[in-house]
Amino acid sequence: MGDDAAGPAVIDRLAERVPASVALVESVGDATHLLETWRDAGLAIIVDAVVSGGAAGSIHRIDGMQGFPSAWRSASTHLVGLAEAIDLGDAVGVLPEVMVIYGIEIDRVEPGVGLSPTIDQAVDEVAAGIVELCRGYA
Amino acid sequence: MTNAREISVEYLARVEGEGSMRVKVVDDQIEDVEFSIFEPPRFFEAFLRGRPHTDAPDITARICGICPIAYQMSSVHAMEDAFGFTVGGSLRELRRLIYCGEWIESHVLHVYLLHAPDFLGYESGIHMAADHREVVERGLRMKKAGNDIVALLGGREIHPINVRVGGFYRTPTKKELQALVPELEWAKDAALETINWTAGFTFPEADLDFEFVSVCHPDEYPFNEGNIVSNKGIDVPVSQFNEFFTEEHVERSNALHSRVRGRGAYHVGPLARYAINFEKLTPLAQQSALDAGLEPVCNNPFKSIIVRSVETLYAIEEALRIIDEYEEPAEPYVSYTPKAGVGHGATEAPRGMLYHQYRLHEDGRIADAQITPPTAQNQLTIESDLRFVLEQHLDLPDPELTWVLEQSIRNYDPCISCATHFLDLTVERV
Repeated sequence: MGDDAAGPAVIDRLAERVPASVALVESVGDATHLLETWRDAGLAIIVDAVVSGGAAGSIHRIDGMQGFPSAWRSASTHLVGLAEAIDLGDAVGVLPEVMVIYGIEIDRVEPGVGLSPTIDQAVDEVAAGIVELCRGYA
Repeated sequence: MTNAREISVEYLARVEGEGSMRVKVVDDQIEDVEFSIFEPPRFFEAFLRGRPHTDAPDITARICGICPIAYQMSSVHAMEDAFGFTVGGSLRELRRLIYCGEWIESHVLHVYLLHAPDFLGYESGIHMAADHREVVERGLRMKKAGNDIVALLGGREIHPINVRVGGFYRTPTKKELQALVPELEWAKDAALETINWTAGFTFPEADLDFEFVSVCHPDEYPFNEGNIVSNKGIDVPVSQFNEFFTEEHVERSNALHSRVRGRGAYHVGPLARYAINFEKLTPLAQQSALDAGLEPVCNNPFKSIIVRSVETLYAIEEALRIIDEYEEPAEPYVSYTPKAGVGHGATEAPRGMLYHQYRLHEDGRIADAQITPPTAQNQLTIESDLRFVLEQHLDLPDPELTWVLEQSIRNYDPCISCATHFLDLTVERV
């Protein structure tokens, strides 16, 4: 993976930095299975790579309960994306109390090249932000 | 005066060039029907050249987020065919089991969230969930039962990483598999409810003359092994795929169209599998299908939603059987020595037969790859169905006509199912 590994990279950097009560879940593709992780959760934090026209490495942070930016809605071919999963979770009543979504603007996505330096730094910043969020929520 | 009526549907994803539907009617005569799709596997074929054969299962799994197991299974069977060995015993059973998981999650997603809204008059599964919360929750829970199988055997739910040529990197313990049983037992009852639910929908009339094509095994409903069989006389080993089927470039579309050589369109997917393999379903699945009003052959593509529900029941029953009889294998994979050659694999993806062919160098690197996905094979049939639906419903206003046209595309659970929920519609009258 290239910069599109930003989400899993954040998970890697959270290991042993968040309480045991925090579940670190990697999700690829179909987002409906996230509904089960949200059920009965207090706080859900989602991190994904985005391409919305911003500078590579810039970090977006939004309140997931307040709607999803249209620029982040993907044209999935036959999967339920994150935006649709949130809508579905709302319809069946399984959303968490609080949902924070981080989007990391990415640059290169060639396979096997790893994170570019600006994305690597953004991943560190997001991981640090999540540690603070978990501490504050606890 | 000429009355031209043109309906074109372009996906929101048109920026990616994914696909489109366009029909043109002049003076109540259908002048043109065109259904086009984007075919990502074409890029993967080039991408595979020069790579180790061991990369194929993991790379081709990336073609599809909802049927990665199909790509992994077709690729490993093709490699094993090239190297001249087969995988039997518990490893073979585990391959059927992981395919059961994929059918369950894929079929349930399509039945509940993508196709049922068409029959119940909702714009999407999300809109449907607002009025049918319990039903959608049942579907989500059933889907999770499938996801759990794929996650256990594949290492994770999406783009699994535990499948390899010769078997698996790690095989599960009996205890791990047994842990899946209670939820699968619940899902079996839920599948019966699903069949009853879908059988109660109202279906447009259709009795079409399809050439059904499916993998067919003498003893079992097909996942991974068997001849390629059609209801119009084809019965050949997988290695003869290209002798009986061909892909042709059509000038107006940048997608290849598959045909039976010397004939034309053919139909792969649940309806085809069901028609060719009905007697290999479990007794309960057979009886449930008949109770739902299906004959052993169903020629109404709109009823594919019932057949998908029947196949879901079958996959759950088959998963329970495999788990019950499972014995842990001595080794997680069969050892082998790569050699130069050509290998073929055809397995049954949820949406139809998926054919892979690889030519391999002496050291096992991939020289050439051919991947023929089910949606490409169904493309001509989908166009033919669209023409039929147009003829039957020309009197409908454009919005209703567009609805039933989109519904007929979704009969095939094509790789654009979700995208067709995000359509921009243009109606042009002259």
